[in-house]
Parts: sequence; structure tokens; C-alpha cells
Amino acid sequence: MASAGDTILDAPARAAPREPAWYPYLLIAPAMLMLVVVSLVPFLYAIWLSFHEAKFGRVKDFVGFDNYLTLLTDGRFWNSIGVAATFVFIAVPIEFMLGLAGALVLNQNVRGRSLLIPLLFMPAMMAPIVVGLLWKIMLAGSWGFFSYNVLERFHILTDTSVFASPDLALYALIFVDIWQWTPFMMLAFFAGLQALPLGPYRAAAVDGANPFQMFLHITLPLMTPLLAVIGLLRFIDAFKVFDTIYILTNGGPGTSTETPSILANKMTFEFWNIGEASALAVLVWIAFFAFCSVFYQVAKKRLNAF
Amino acid sequence: MTRKIWCFAAALAATTVLAPPLRPALADEAAFYAKAAAPYKGTTIRVLDEITPLQETLSKIVPDFEKETGIKVEWELLNHFEVINKGQADMLSGRGHYDAIMLHGSQLGPMLSAGVILPLDGFVADPKLMDPGLNAADFIAAPYKTTAFYDGKQYGFINWNYNHVYWARADLLNDPTEKAAFKAKYGYDLAPAKTIEQMRDIAQFFTRKKGEMLAGKPLESDFYGIVLEGIKGGSTFSNLWVNFIENYGGDVLDKDGKPTFDTPQVVAALKMWRELWTYAPPGIAEYSLVDVPTVMGNGIAAQSLAWSDFVLGIDKPGVSPYAGKFVYGPVPAKAGNEAHRHADAEPSVTVINAASKQPQATFLFLQWLADKRQQDKLIEMGQGGVPIRESSWALPAIKDSTNPTLFAAMKSSLDVAVARPKMEKYPEMFDAMSGIAQQVGLGKMTPEEGAKEGQATLLKLCGGKSCTL
Amino acid sequence: MAEITERSRGRSGLFWTAAVVVYALIVLFPIFWMATMMVKPNDAMFARPTQWLFTPTLDHFAYVIEQGFHWSLLTSFVLCTVSTALVVLIGTPAAYAFARFEMKGKDDLFLFILGSRMAPPVCLVIPFYLIYAKVGLLDSFLGLTLAYMTFNLSFYVWVLRSFCRDLPVELEEAAALEGWSRVQIFRRVVFPLLRNGIVATAVLCFIFAWNEFLFAFMLGGSSVTTLPVSIPKLITSQGVRWGEMAVVGMTALVPVLAVVFVLQRHIVRGLTLGAVKG
Repeated sequence: MASAGDTILDAPARAAPREPAWYPYLLIAPAMLMLVVVSLVPFLYAIWLSFHEAKFGRVKDFVGFDNYLTLLTDGRFWNSIGVAATFVFIAVPIEFMLGLAGALVLNQNVRGRSLLIPLLFMPAMMAPIVVGLLWKIMLAGSWGFFSYNVLERFHILTDTSVFASPDLALYALIFVDIWQWTPFMMLAFFAGLQALPLGPYRAAAVDGANPFQMFLHITLPLMTPLLAVIGLLRFIDAFKVFDTIYILTNGGPGTSTETPSILANKMTFEFWNIGEASALAVLVWIAFFAFCSVFYQVAKKRLNAF
Repeated sequence: MTRKIWCFAAALAATTVLAPPLRPALADEAAFYAKAAAPYKGTTIRVLDEITPLQETLSKIVPDFEKETGIKVEWELLNHFEVINKGQADMLSGRGHYDAIMLHGSQLGPMLSAGVILPLDGFVADPKLMDPGLNAADFIAAPYKTTAFYDGKQYGFINWNYNHVYWARADLLNDPTEKAAFKAKYGYDLAPAKTIEQMRDIAQFFTRKKGEMLAGKPLESDFYGIVLEGIKGGSTFSNLWVNFIENYGGDVLDKDGKPTFDTPQVVAALKMWRELWTYAPPGIAEYSLVDVPTVMGNGIAAQSLAWSDFVLGIDKPGVSPYAGKFVYGPVPAKAGNEAHRHADAEPSVTVINAASKQPQATFLFLQWLADKRQQDKLIEMGQGGVPIRESSWALPAIKDSTNPTLFAAMKSSLDVAVARPKMEKYPEMFDAMSGIAQQVGLGKMTPEEGAKEGQATLLKLCGGKSCTL
Repeated sequence: MAEITERSRGRSGLFWTAAVVVYALIVLFPIFWMATMMVKPNDAMFARPTQWLFTPTLDHFAYVIEQGFHWSLLTSFVLCTVSTALVVLIGTPAAYAFARFEMKGKDDLFLFILGSRMAPPVCLVIPFYLIYAKVGLLDSFLGLTLAYMTFNLSFYVWVLRSFCRDLPVELEEAAALEGWSRVQIFRRVVFPLLRNGIVATAVLCFIFAWNEFLFAFMLGGSSVTTLPVSIPKLITSQGVRWGEMAVVGMTALVPVLAVVFVLQRHIVRGLTLGAVKG
């Protein structure tokens, strides 16, 4: 069983190095160049802005690390990090598990998959801004479909509404995120399952392995690269989520659902404090980059995921 | 400061009504624009405004300007928050894509302190550009004077007189059973609230549980006495500031712009604010200025304070099953303080972008918009609207409206409507203060704590200095 | 898919099918509800008690067409197609190179690509705006196409690279022994094997671009208005035009749904090239 997996788990074979050394660089050059122009330049500009007083978007004095100090000593910034962390660490694992479980179910002998898959994928196909409005239709206090027909009717929640309650709003947003992105995970993982080689399973069946063992020792290791990439990308995206929160609570009540993206939006479009908003971008980026680098190295060495 | 301006404005309004100046014939108006625009014929100007039913009507009138002057107008309408984001980005970046941009009164502070609005005084003084028949004295004075001018300079005419009115369910207030029960309980007749205290009594009276009787029928779901805007941001704080704190005789800033949020008047207003929230639907803390009219239109609340232009969109057959069953009134005053009543308003003005390359042509357009001919047409075509001119009240669309109480309420609000003082940090203030308004409303903070925290927040934001420009 | 069904160990699919259908019904209910709002008269929209039956109206469609939303639909379609095609064009060689070749500082370059996706877009939109205002790219197709690269190119390269890893290197080596050039090998051997993966990833990129709001709003304008940007115009001061919103929201779903439906064979098979190995 293990030997069957090994050929797959080996580091990917490389083509004989008969190309000139610059050949791979040529292949990545257009993408790199594009990213330097569209991503690095604006980001460097944001770094430059973060060291300046840029109230109303007008760059004034160089202020060194003032914007960073203001931000790091502001309870509101740390609150937003806490909110986003809660959001991500609840939403993403649940999406991940549900997605994987759903993919395993779909991978059974389910009929009508060609119809079911596009339908199941619908939440992930919708614009986040529409998703926000859709859940407002469902959960808005008093006039939302679900609020009225379920929460109010069965006296589950009558003294407040989900998005008006500082204790519930964040969990409602997490629920919406799970609704929206579980199908995405499910489809990606299902595609991965569909593509697994059959050899190892046949060998395992001969060895008399039960389905759980097969899952643990064949499916999971073989799926690791895909799980890692999709999980990491989703993790980054969930931390940055903006549209749905903006539509549903815009950070309220109080600051109970104010993520860094929502806070940055206020700093930018309400307060026009571009210097501080840029500092926030840089801090978030640094934190992510550190996290992703560690994740990448560990996943590469331990799990051979990259 | 606000009060002084208000007295001045009232005097001005009085003179306007008493002595309507002579107006040249309408043909002269068109001739003036044709002549004045001759040097700018063929140019294109871009104007950004907010999308509401008023602007949608106006968009049908704008093409006339092109016919009269040969100046082409690209008239772009975006949603409330988008106009703010995109308009300010355009002005602040110096891009100058839009020649003219609609600014809410409260946006003027930050934009003036950034120096991106072009003063109009040079054009106003130029007889080649200034229409002698504009008749600025006809503009409803209080909002016009407090919005368009700052520090002796003029920055616009007046475009939209957004204002708050009191909004209630006439069918409930007129129900005989309810009337009798109300009289028995409170000792006076049930009628649209004139004072905040009456509004509170009515709110308390009509807050009922599912299964209880309302106007002779058992309720299928809970019913609420009042609905107010309670979301963080939006105009929640401006509602609290003007309709409550100012009516209670307090203020957020004194005449020098120093915070006065910890006075007994503010605490009393916050107490009332908190009490009213207990009679409101559970979702109040998530209701934006868009949701409040929706809730009223759904018929789950007895009364509200709402923006009158929103009401126009809801109180129509086919939009709400309760259309035609509403009654309107002036924003209730504090009992005993009726002589100094206040009503929340957000007079808005289209300004010329300092980066505009066509300021003269833009000026002509702004002036043309504010002209009586266009305003009359706007009111008639929209079957009503929110007037910016005193003379508009006499137009058939308003005078003979099927909804007379709405326009009477609007007029009474506009009589006292003033723009907020011009504050550089208004967005930060409104963000922080609406959070406190929410906390107090939800009962997570006592009115006293709210007043203390609000005062501290304002002092910190303004750095101990004046909060106004 | 016959080669896969043998793996399902003889258990009847009926139970699982029923489970998936029940799950789908629950999850898709909100979307169904929104769909009914397309033809629901305004006074029945949020009536209490909820009105399940109503006389359908086409008013919302009429308004949407009157406001020219179909132009936004066209704009979105052209923009997303072009930007996705560009991502595929320059992203495919990069993904392939990262999977196949040893490069100095490869890990750093690879992380740099992901790094372009890490900063919150909200913070970058103003730097973008200020730069675009200077170089005149605001409100242009080119400007938005470029801006979409920030999130899609990195996604594409990262996901496609995990497919490229699984390409059987033996085929390429065999072709090389035949004396084929690198370009020939890529076109005749790698590309056909990678096609499903490219389609799957490109569809996801298309969806991301199709639904993007913030960049499209700030960097676009009256000449480039995408579908998501046209939605907030329905949040007016007289309330949200819910019926119209439902029409636009559901219309936006149709092209994507069609694409996924048509290409699902590629999408499903795409991700790790099972068709090749199985």
C-alpha cells in the first residue's frame, strides 16, 4: 500500500537539465513582469504613502513610523485583527471539513452529478455583493424571510436580530461565508478525488484495508498538495473578505464585525487617511507573508505539498 | 453660531415672502443662457449626482440645457455611498474627471479643508455669467445660507433639500377603539405627535405582542411603536444630534466648536433615545436610512422619523400595501421648548471641482439647474418633490397634492433646516458617535456613560481645539 | 467516468444521491427565494405574513433593461474573457516552469507571486487610483484588465502549478529523445494533457473576475461598468429595488452557470489529471 503511494509522493521528477539555465526564467518572465507592474508598483507606492501624512489623499510630510505607531497603539486595529482571526479560524476549517466531506459523498455513486454539480456550485458563482444582499433578504431583522418565518415565529430570537446583535452578528457573517465558499472547496476537492489513480486502491483492497484506512493512508496523502493550495488561498481570501460584511453590517454593531478590510475601507473612503490605511495594508501583508512563508516551507518539507 | 444664522435666515425668508422681486419673462432666461454660453458651445461637462427619484426626474430635464446652450452634459448618477467615494476620490486626487459633484452638507467640511472646491464669487460677480433673473432670494433661506456659503465665499447654489419628517400610520391613529384606549391611558387625544413626549407615549402604546389586538384585529406578529435609523454610520448620529439633542436644548458643539456632549440636556436626550429604542423592532441596530422606510412600508411599526424624499418612494400605490394610510407631521419638538424646534436636514449642493477645466460652463449649468424654470418643471414632472425654492410650495403638484400632510411637514422642516457646522473631521466624529448612539440605544451603555464617553471621544478627535473649520 | 465507478464499492448510489439532493435543496433555498423575487410585485416583496403566491410581474425586468443593464452584462463578459485569456496566456508557462525546472531562488519567486494576493484590496485601491489617474488608465478596459491580474494571475499560477507537477515527465522525455523542440513538446504533449487543468483554473479565474466589485467600481466608470458595479445603483434612497436586484443577480449567474455546465467534464477531470493516470 505504502509503496504504491510512494511513486506519487516522491518529489516530482524533473526533466533532464538540457535547456539553457535562462529557459525557465524566460517562461516566468511575462508573469513576473506583469506582477511587478500591477502588484509591486502599487504596493511600493502604498509603502511610500504609509510613511507620509496623507490626509485626504494629499501627500504631505514624511512622518516616519508615525502611522504604524498610531495603528499599533489603536485598540480598534487590534480589535479588527481579533475579529478577522475569529472569522478565519472558524469559517475556513468548517468550509474545509464540509468541503472535503461533501466531496467524498459526491465521489460515491451519486446520480445526476452533471446536473447537481453546477447547481451545488451556485453560491460560489455569485458576486459577494449579491450574496450579502441575499442574506439580508433572509436574515434582516423583522422583514427577513428567515428572521420572520423561523426565528420570530418559533421564538428563537425575538429581542434582537442577528445582524443587530453584537454577540451574534459575527457568527452570522461566518455562516454566510461558509454557505458561500463550502461549495467551492467541495468542487475543488471532488475534482481532486476524481483524478486520483486507482492503482493504490486496488493494492489496498487486496491487502484488505477498510475504507477508513484507505482514506487515511491513500486519499489524504495523495490529496495533500491540492488541500494545501486551496486551503491556503481560501485562508488568505477569508481574511480579506469585504463585500459581504460591507453590505450586511459594515463592521457594526459597534466594532463587533469590523475586520481590517472594513476598517481600512473606513480609513480610506470615510476618513481619507490614506497614510494610515496604507500602513495597515503593509502590516497585514507582512503578517501574511511571514505566515505563508512558514506554511510553505513546512508544507513543502513535511507534506511534500508544493 | 447656528442660532444666529437661523435668525438671519428667518429674517431673509420673511423678506422673500413679503416682497417677491420682479422676474423677467421666461424667454429672457433662455436668451440669457444662449448668449452667456456662446463662448463654451460644443464643450462637454461631466456632473456626478446621487440616484434618488428626484434626480431620475431631473435627468429628463437636463437635455434641455444642451438645447439651450450647446454645452453637452454627461450626467452620471450613482448610489449615495458611491457618490461620496468616487466624487471625493476624483476631487482629492486632482483628476478632474467630473466638473461638478454633488456634496452632502456634511461633506463640505472635509472638502473645504482639503481646498478642492472652487469658490463661485468670481463668476457671481461677472455679469456675463451671472443670470440677473436667478432670484437667489427665492431659495428656501435657512438651508441655502448655511450650506452654500463658508467664510464669506460662495461654493454653490442649493440643489437638494433633504430633510426629516415625522411619519405615522393614520389608520391606527384614527381607529376609534385605539383612540378611546389611548385617551383612557394617557389622558389626551391620540393624534400625530407634536412633541417628543407624545411620540414616546404613542410608541409605548402601540408596542404589542403577537396575538394582542391592534385596531380590532389580532396581530399575527409583534408590532412596534416606532422605527428609527440605528445602524453604525449612515445618518443615525445626525438624527440623534438634531431631532433629539438640539430639540432638548443641548448641542454637540458650542458656538466655538468645542464639544458639549456631557451636558444634562444631552443626557436627557440620550435617555429618551434609549427609551424609544425599546419600542422599536429588534433589528433597529442594523437599520440604515434605506431600511427604515422599508419597515414602515411593511406595516410593522406605528411611527418613524425618516427622510422625506425616501417617503416619496414608499408611500405610492404598488410599493407598499399601506400606501395612502400614512400621515406626516413636523419633527416633534421637546415639550416646553417648541419655540426652538429643530429638524434634521442634509441640504446638499453641487460644487465645482477645483480641478475642473470647464468652470465657466459648469457654473452656467449649476445656475441653470437652480433656476425657477427647471425647478418648477422638476416638481411638476415628479408630481411633487423636495423644493429648494419658496415659490415651489405654490405649484399645483404640491398645493393640490393627494398627500398634503407630507408637504406641510416638509415645509415645516425646511423652515428650520440648517446644514451641520463645517467640520474637518466629521466622518471620524460620525463614525465614533454613531457607535455610542448604538450602544446607548441598545442599553449596553447608560445615557450618562454615553455622554461621558462621547465627550471624551470628541475632545480626543478634535485635539482639544475647535471641531469646526 | 466509467473507470471511477468501479471504485465505489458496489454500494447503491441512491442513498448518497438522496443525501446530496436534500443538501442541495436546503443550501439553494435562498437562491430560489431570490429567483421568485424577480417576478414579485413590490407590495408582496416582504409582506408579513410571507406571501407564497402572487401575481407575477415583469416590471423589474423592464426597469433593468430601461437602465441599460444589458450593456453592463456585455462589458463584464468582454472584460472577464479578455482578462482571463491574458492570465492563461502568461500564467501557463510560468506555472509549468515552476513545476518543472530548478531555478535559483525559486521558492522566493513563487512566494512573491502569492504575495501579490496578500494585501487587502481595499488598501490598494487608492494607490491604484492615484497611479491610474496620473497615467490615464481610469475608466478604461486596459486599466481594469491589468488590475484583475493582481488577484487572478497569482491564483492561476499557484493552482495550475499543482496540476503541472503531476504531468508524467516520461512523455516529455520521450518526445525530447525524438528530437522535438521545447515549444513542440509544450504544444503537442504538455498542453493537451494540461488542458483540463487549464480550463478548470481559468473558469475559477473567470468567476473571480466576474464577481469582483471594488476595483471595478473605483477604477471603472461610466464607460466601463461591470455587472456587480451596476448593482449598488439599485440601492436607492427609496429603498433597495429588490426585484431589480434579483433580476441582475440571477442574470449574472446564468453565464457562469452555463460555462460550468458546459465545461464541467473538464473542470471535474481537470484538477489533477486523473484521466491521464487512471
